[in-house]
Amino acid sequence: MSFWRALKQYLSIYSVQLKNNWVREAVYRTNFLTSVAVDMVWIGVEFTLFKVIYANTPSLAGWTQDQVYFFLGVFFASDALFTIFFQKNFWNFSDLINRGELDIVLTKPVSPIFLALTRWINLTAGFNFLLGMGIILKFSTAAGFAGGWAWLSLAFWLLVGLTTALLLRFAFSVWIFWTERGFIFSRLYYQFFSFATKPDTLYPKAIRYLILTALPFAFIGSIPARAVIHGLSQGEMVLIGIVLIVFFVLDRTLWFAGLRRYQSASS
Amino acid sequence: MSWRLAALKNGFQEDAAYRVEFFLSIFSSALVPAAIQLILWYALFQLGNQSEVSGWSYAELIQYTLVSTLFTQVRGGDHDFDLQEMIRTGSLSNYLLRPVGPVEFVYLRGVGGRLFIATICLCLGTLAFAALGFSIPRLWGGMLLAVAGNVIHYQIGSVLATTAFVWEEAFSVLMVKNMLVQLLSGELLPLNLFPESMQWIWKSTPFYLYVYGPTQYALGNWSHQEFIHGLGLAAAWMIGCTFLIRLSWGWGIRRYSSLGG
Repeated sequence: MSFWRALKQYLSIYSVQLKNNWVREAVYRTNFLTSVAVDMVWIGVEFTLFKVIYANTPSLAGWTQDQVYFFLGVFFASDALFTIFFQKNFWNFSDLINRGELDIVLTKPVSPIFLALTRWINLTAGFNFLLGMGIILKFSTAAGFAGGWAWLSLAFWLLVGLTTALLLRFAFSVWIFWTERGFIFSRLYYQFFSFATKPDTLYPKAIRYLILTALPFAFIGSIPARAVIHGLSQGEMVLIGIVLIVFFVLDRTLWFAGLRRYQSASS
Repeated sequence: MSWRLAALKNGFQEDAAYRVEFFLSIFSSALVPAAIQLILWYALFQLGNQSEVSGWSYAELIQYTLVSTLFTQVRGGDHDFDLQEMIRTGSLSNYLLRPVGPVEFVYLRGVGGRLFIATICLCLGTLAFAALGFSIPRLWGGMLLAVAGNVIHYQIGSVLATTAFVWEEAFSVLMVKNMLVQLLSGELLPLNLFPESMQWIWKSTPFYLYVYGPTQYALGNWSHQEFIHGLGLAAAWMIGCTFLIRLSWGWGIRRYSSLGG
């Protein structure tokens, strides 16, 4: 099958998924309020934490209060993108393998991983993305964000954040092929995810090295914010590329190894 | 009494059956938040060249983080999520047919693991306090307050879980509560770092009795009088919450249709 024909087929499948999810969310309208309320409180907690810290110091590892708020906006927007497109699929990922629901996915004439990761779309989280963008906009000037063409650069870095979250979450979830209780890995993911909620320059060298390589949670919010405010060195750009490629290869290898081990409902 | 012991035993057995996951979850829930706190202090003092923050030195803040980690492990527990799930899915009906109180049953089944953690924390804390010359009775007093905090945490959660009788998305109320607790319990930072104008926020909830209060007492920053006041306040919250549980669950059960979610 030619590339363009395959692309057209996948886009048409995705548009059906999008339509189905839109209908579902129109039925469960209170989901919207729930999602907004929870995220507003989460944002409030993170802002309060930094407000308390900055009440005691004017600058933190080279970040002013406005720059940290700008970082929080980037982080929330990046995380909201992941919530919209992938989060719910990972919630259901363990059922797919433990209950044998992957069987039906494997029978379809398209990539099973594509179907497994695009089945659910959380459109209501779009509001959270707008909220993140609103925060970015509010603190952009004070944080030293150039604006203009830099908005395109920000869009690119938000995509880097989304890709990183997807690759990392997959790396934590794929172990469900080898264990029955997948929630512990989800829990571990969210524990480590806390590292993404602070700018990476705050961390001591060893931890900073960790969140820029083996567990690249810094790519979700901190690196994108730093890239558009301060800029990144060439070395850092290369590192980001290498880390993402390594994670892609690792995830792909583990997925195929998992599929070979998969034994339907009895696995 | 026998069903209470059975529920407690059942909880212990479940945690023992999945011990790798149990210890892994304790490890990660203790290590990562503590690491983040320590990093903040590192950034403030080492990178920011501060010598004191709201009366706290670098060493004192590290002590706070390490000791508060012991109490943070005791305060947790997501049994209130089990309650709202039982209401939402209709599995609450199984409990209504039996001579057990569902609120008490779920707590006892879930608290086993927490009591085990509290014991481990107490042993580790006692050894560390003995080695460093801190007051061991104060650590035990702090643990008593933390266990009282665990009860209040669950009680508040069980009152909030009754929103599931009328709203399918009740878990979000519990999530919001947990986020607030994380900040206002003193788990993320000592609460007296809050600016003066914001102090009323944490003082008007019982959450500070979960981690901040026990840690301050264990470190000798609270007087015995403040500790006894904290214990009295915890008792008052427990009594008040008991009434609220009766009211809210009585109200909810009257509306319960057992149709499932």
